[in-house]
Amino acid sequence: MEDKTILELKNVRKVFGQIVALDSVSFALKRGEIHGLLGGNGAGKTTLMNILYGLYRKDEGEILLRDETVNIQGPRDAIKHGIGMVHQHFLQISNFTVLENIVLGTDIKNKYTMKMDQEAEKVKELCQRFGLNVNLNDMISTLTVGARQKVEILKALYRGVDILILDEPTTNLTPQEVDALFVSLRVMVNDGLSIVFITHKLREVLSVCDRITVLREGKNITTLDRKDASEEVFVRAMVGEKMDIENSIYFATEVRQGFDRTTVEAPKLKLENVNLISQDGIPRLKDLNLEVFGGEIVGIAGVAGNGQRELAEVVTGVVPITNGKKTYMGDDVTSKTNVDLLSSGFSYIPEDRLSDGFLPKATVAQNLILGQHRIKPYSDGRFINWKTVFSESTKYIKEYNIKTNSPGDIGGNLSGGNIQRVMIARAFSSDSQVMVAHNPTRGLDIPSMDFVYQKMLARREAKLATLLISEDLDELMRISDRIAVIFRGQILGVLVRDEFDKYAIGRLMSGITSENQPTEEKNLP
Amino acid sequence: MDTTIIDFLRLVLLSMVPFVLAGQGTMLGGRTGVFNVAQEGMMLVGASVGFLVSFFSGSILLGVIVAMLSGALFGLALAYFTTSLKMNQFVIGLALFFIGLGVSTLLPKLILGITLTPPLIPTLKSIPIPLLSQTPFIGPILFKQNILVYVSVLVSIGLWYFLFKTQKGLELRSVGEYPMTADSLGINTTKMRYWSTIIGGMLIGMAGAYLPMVYAGTFTEGMTMGRGWLAIALTFFGGWSPLPILYGSLFFSAVEVLAFRVQVIGSFLPYQILQMFPYIATILVMILTFKRSRVPGFLGNNYDREKRSL
Amino acid sequence: MTIAKKLLPYLLAVVASFVAAGIFISLMGFDVFKAYQTILFTSFRTPNGFIQTLLKFIPLTLLALAFTIPLNAGKFNIGGEGQMMAGGIGAAAMGIMFADLPAIILLPLVILGGVVAGALWGLIPAWLLYKFNINEILTTVLFNFVAFFLIDYVCTGPWRDPAAGHPTTVLIGRGGWLPMLVNNPPLHSGIILAILVAIGVYIYTSRTTGGYELVATGANPRAAGVFGINTRRMFVLSLVLGGAIAGLAGAFEVAGNQHRLIEGMQSNFLQLGLIIGLISRGNNGAVPFVAFMIAVLEVGASAMQRTMMIPVEMVFIVEALILLFVLLSDVVRRK
Repeated sequence: MEDKTILELKNVRKVFGQIVALDSVSFALKRGEIHGLLGGNGAGKTTLMNILYGLYRKDEGEILLRDETVNIQGPRDAIKHGIGMVHQHFLQISNFTVLENIVLGTDIKNKYTMKMDQEAEKVKELCQRFGLNVNLNDMISTLTVGARQKVEILKALYRGVDILILDEPTTNLTPQEVDALFVSLRVMVNDGLSIVFITHKLREVLSVCDRITVLREGKNITTLDRKDASEEVFVRAMVGEKMDIENSIYFATEVRQGFDRTTVEAPKLKLENVNLISQDGIPRLKDLNLEVFGGEIVGIAGVAGNGQRELAEVVTGVVPITNGKKTYMGDDVTSKTNVDLLSSGFSYIPEDRLSDGFLPKATVAQNLILGQHRIKPYSDGRFINWKTVFSESTKYIKEYNIKTNSPGDIGGNLSGGNIQRVMIARAFSSDSQVMVAHNPTRGLDIPSMDFVYQKMLARREAKLATLLISEDLDELMRISDRIAVIFRGQILGVLVRDEFDKYAIGRLMSGITSENQPTEEKNLP
Repeated sequence: MDTTIIDFLRLVLLSMVPFVLAGQGTMLGGRTGVFNVAQEGMMLVGASVGFLVSFFSGSILLGVIVAMLSGALFGLALAYFTTSLKMNQFVIGLALFFIGLGVSTLLPKLILGITLTPPLIPTLKSIPIPLLSQTPFIGPILFKQNILVYVSVLVSIGLWYFLFKTQKGLELRSVGEYPMTADSLGINTTKMRYWSTIIGGMLIGMAGAYLPMVYAGTFTEGMTMGRGWLAIALTFFGGWSPLPILYGSLFFSAVEVLAFRVQVIGSFLPYQILQMFPYIATILVMILTFKRSRVPGFLGNNYDREKRSL
Repeated sequence: MTIAKKLLPYLLAVVASFVAAGIFISLMGFDVFKAYQTILFTSFRTPNGFIQTLLKFIPLTLLALAFTIPLNAGKFNIGGEGQMMAGGIGAAAMGIMFADLPAIILLPLVILGGVVAGALWGLIPAWLLYKFNINEILTTVLFNFVAFFLIDYVCTGPWRDPAAGHPTTVLIGRGGWLPMLVNNPPLHSGIILAILVAIGVYIYTSRTTGGYELVATGANPRAAGVFGINTRRMFVLSLVLGGAIAGLAGAFEVAGNQHRLIEGMQSNFLQLGLIIGLISRGNNGAVPFVAFMIAVLEVGASAMQRTMMIPVEMVFIVEALILLFVLLSDVVRRK
């Protein structure tokens, strides 16, 4: 590997409104390396790379490419300079074909007939070289997450980039797919590319990166060679001095006891042969059986889009069950909707907080009471008691560390992490018998994630039931008593805490149930 | 009987023009995500200035051009407020509708005075296409029309070719589906939105100018009679695609002509019921097609590159 | 934020639109100061002017509420005028069919006829939205046109007043006339009811649980639905309520002003209602105040056209500009 610096960002500063997102951050990328950019949510990793890619404008700082200062005004400039970026939320047009998505924005040879044979040839050649197989004529909307990611990488390669930025590329991949991705990345680096790998997952950077830069709260913390540093150094760099790592759940090393099933008699929540057929006639949940006991945290693992959201909505009564039975504390609640369930012991943290959980135009207080607005102490059924609402809200804002001036502030002004805290405060404040938490820590920094875990364990102590649906396998393994794996609307298997195994879960996540299937684990180079 | 059908179909083609042009104008803006709801006002301004300029200059062509420019100006305003200032498209559309409504009656009042008998302009003559117009049956229907009938068909075909058979068309559609994607690939989303809205505005202005030039020979207050709103329904009906919009406008126009014809012939129904017919037919059509209609993914939304995804 | 600070952008918006329009007016060769004096002070110079203003204020407030209530639920009701006309028809129908009844029965019947007819006119788009998920913007607009033709039909049908040149119905029964508060110049008692409705709407949306659900639905229907609010019912409720209030305005026109139904009764109430609602930003508490301001401008505008030959549309454009500048102040604040 050459030891030549190809790209350098110097003292970059970026301010969003009143929030300093990046405070004099520097970063250097060497030719032919995979450089991990590590940090919790809100550390500024994506912001820094968006600046490099021209999506954000920097307030201060300098970008040097091959020792020359470059001025990147927009993605067009970045692409021109050979920089490509694979975004965490794929930037693809779902009703265009794969090929159309890849060539979009480049000059097509037959631009007045759109016959793209030449372009297709070129893409096919790239597919072969890097082991990224996709069918070019498929509509994006029909592809799996894994295939869409290949398209996203192909888009960059097609433009002949020599610097590739990958933003949290392993989100929603199974452990096996992650391994395959890492193999592909090695091929690319050997082919002369330089890669920036953004992630919050320590283990991933340790397994694939050559060098690692850690950011925290918009500041550079350290840059180290992989071989020079231990895991503890990175942990401390990611979370800072204040966090108590010893007692944290996020970094816990000791093995916690699983849930002892003999102590309680009946589950708080029970689903029996639940089926859900969507409005367009597609089965979303198939013969699903699940029990959640008081004092238990049941995790649901799976690649996004395999019925997790539907499961959450069926449990909370947002959508009615097509057939099957739902029991809550022994009562049949199959036909009860969320109108009843939310005021009788259910709480819900929806996956997509902005679309499913938040009222951007309403105040923080109005947001905090949503779902409990019909019951005491907030309402007598006819009138809202705004005085109580405000005093309770003030309390929650403090307890859950929501950064806002007053309960009367407009919710839309909060940052993503603070909106998530509103979701969490709303769900945890009611001490519900059954909680459905879907990606509850999304957008939170590590100390806040830890806070949520503490709260969940407190629920466990209080003999309350929690259903944790998460796309973060590490999170599930950290805190669940049992993990059920969902695939195409079916529970393919349930593992108890002593049996937790990443690759076993990964196999179930991709629909492989037979024990005889060859394992896909690969040793990394 | 034969001549009645020929006459009817000829009128259908004649009356489809405002629907086609306004529909395509709406579609074009929508294809980059700008949802225009100011058509009614923009068409009225087009009708008003088209009439005034034709009257004073004696040139219908000049009238049409100025009407298109007025539409372009409204399109520019819409693009500026929504794309550059990121203001709510629907509210801005309404505000522009109000301004158009006011301007369209203000101008004739200021220029011609507050009068009860407005002057007339000559209406558009039909231009028979040599040979083709001699074809029996379809000749007089298709090839003995005024110039704007031909123009509206050509515009539709041209837009279809542009959107689906050229690189720029692909890029333009990508802006209306998912501008973050287009932006991340170096496509200038702002420019695309401006141009599509401005050119769309021109078509809508032209649609308005057609009204005094073909029907009344003069401008009357509110003479669009909701055609701007119907054009929006038409655009949904046509799934935001040029050719289905062209076919759809035949239907919208046929309903209008039919209602008018029956009124003239007389029927057991009161004429007011017949006048309601186009609006009610539109709603019935919406019931049948609204669910299946595909809409550009980002329609009605504004894109702000630096707005952090929460 | 203090009230003064909150009002500042509105004040600036008004000044800016007057300046913009003033330049245009003077370019056209009119006397700007005289024009603006007429616009602003006609309402306050004579009792007649003031009562004219109040008479405008009634339908404007109601039509604006007919727009803002659905807006609170996130729905755009562009059909206030059609609903008002339907209300007028309903009120006139009651007043003509039961013309002989005493006031104590007929008057409530007339008012109720208007409210119910308006609510029905709002129910149709609401039902289409509920049942077929059809965008309410277009359906409410289109039903305006249907109402205009319907009113024409009613005025030329069996209830036609043959003595009138213009299509008009006969007078409604004397018992259906709203009592006068002031006789000369005439001001009917509908204004009291209108103010009560405005206060009621304000309390409903800001204090009650149902009002909270309405606002939550408007803020994010998906989230409201996930958290146990029946949003589709809120959509229907808001549109029907809006229609009923617009229908009430129609009933007042018939029972208070005309005492009959006249074809072409609609003025530009719809546009003004929307402008008022949008300037108020959907805040029901602000609606009556903005409506009063617009009523002043409207009365001034007619006087200006009469005395100076400046078309009334000039003022309408000023009002649209005020709206635009108020909206622009958001952008300025964002920066």
